[in-house]
Amino acid sequence: MLSLDFLDDVRRMNKRQLYYQVLNFGMIVSSALMIWKGLMVITGSESPIVVVLSGSMEPAFHRGDLLFLTNRVEDPIRVGEIVVFRIEGREIPIVHRVLKIHENRDRVSPCWQNGHIKFLTKGDNNAVDDRGLYKQGQHWLEKKDVVGRARGFVPYIGIVTILMNDYPKFKYAVLFLLGLFVLVHRE
Amino acid sequence: MAAAAVQGGRSGGSGGCSGAGGASNCGTGSGRSGLLDKRQALTILPRLDSNSWAQAVLPPQPPKYLGWQWKIDDKPVKIDKWDGSAVKNSLDDSAKKVLLEKYKYVENFGLIDGRLTICTISCFFAIVALIWDYMHPFPESKPVLALCVISYFVMMGILTIYTSYKEKSIFLVAHRKDPTGMDPDDIWQLSSSLKRFDDKYTLKLTFISGRTKQQREAEFTKSIAKFFDHSGTLVMDAYEPEISRLHDSLAIERKIK
Repeated sequence: MLSLDFLDDVRRMNKRQLYYQVLNFGMIVSSALMIWKGLMVITGSESPIVVVLSGSMEPAFHRGDLLFLTNRVEDPIRVGEIVVFRIEGREIPIVHRVLKIHENRDRVSPCWQNGHIKFLTKGDNNAVDDRGLYKQGQHWLEKKDVVGRARGFVPYIGIVTILMNDYPKFKYAVLFLLGLFVLVHRE
Repeated sequence: MAAAAVQGGRSGGSGGCSGAGGASNCGTGSGRSGLLDKRQALTILPRLDSNSWAQAVLPPQPPKYLGWQWKIDDKPVKIDKWDGSAVKNSLDDSAKKVLLEKYKYVENFGLIDGRLTICTISCFFAIVALIWDYMHPFPESKPVLALCVISYFVMMGILTIYTSYKEKSIFLVAHRKDPTGMDPDDIWQLSSSLKRFDDKYTLKLTFISGRTKQQREAEFTKSIAKFFDHSGTLVMDAYEPEISRLHDSLAIERKIK
């Protein structure tokens, strides 16, 4: 017979204490969420921390590195900078370096907005530029495709995220156990 | 308390009977509704305290298997004796139980409700941020997100101030209703502290008179080893007299004044 002794504390709680346990769990989740949303607001990027998934930027970034991004409107995109962008129709963002840009400083031409930029990217470890990855008929990327520019990185830590995504059952098991622990344990 | 000790004694007595391959009436002893068999009574008598002699007549025993119950209020409290917070929580809960059940005070949930409200409001801000961001994807939701994030951290600050300065370490606020119904209630407050990795538990009882608004305190500091046995079970027989002594010392002062 399964001995549920670890639930003894919970069984002795009254309604308010039980509600506080649930609130405790909610507050931990909320704190993580609010820190993430706060980072989104401060950096201006919809995904302020990303994990490098492929080895196309070696030796600068390896698979499993964590990148910190900012996406401020006033920062210009320059050749040589590392940007994280999302191609239309694909959900996984890509980390590559800017190779060429076309920038419009001429106000006269009608088909370009003022300050509009088109740029081409290439991974450091790739042999060719990214035109093969872009959408059919698309030759350049624009500012709206950019998720952010890399500002800093932490090596190796992202391996955990990669593992969790490759083995979703492991992720659910870890989350379930953590949640259960927080709900049952009194502080 | 004493009733629990008697119940423990009774089950101990039945165990002894069946171990000896006992007589027929031992096997049915637990099925009987509350009458002590003479042999069982003799094993139990030495365990009774003198002040619980009046409770020697057992209340009717519930049937042995009630199915699986969620509430385990009558089961003796058993915790991991090395876990400091579990020890403190069990001592606090038992002190609360003594004041509420023995002296029949009424608990006032004001402080706890305050804390619960602050936490609920914080979670509400988080939920609003989550839903708004989902409905209006990121760049448009920036002002609402910023507002929710700032409000959330402000609420966290308020919660910290509340628990540090208003709630302090008070875990029970109980009212004693005036029997004549004319005077305002007397308030009893319990607060405790147990330092990390320490064994000295301090329990402080505060009495605030309803009429004169005067405040009196009494406290004791004892090692937790005095109240728990080696397996981590809280021995109410050792703990309950301490609480009663603390309470009576404050109540008596009141009578003298």
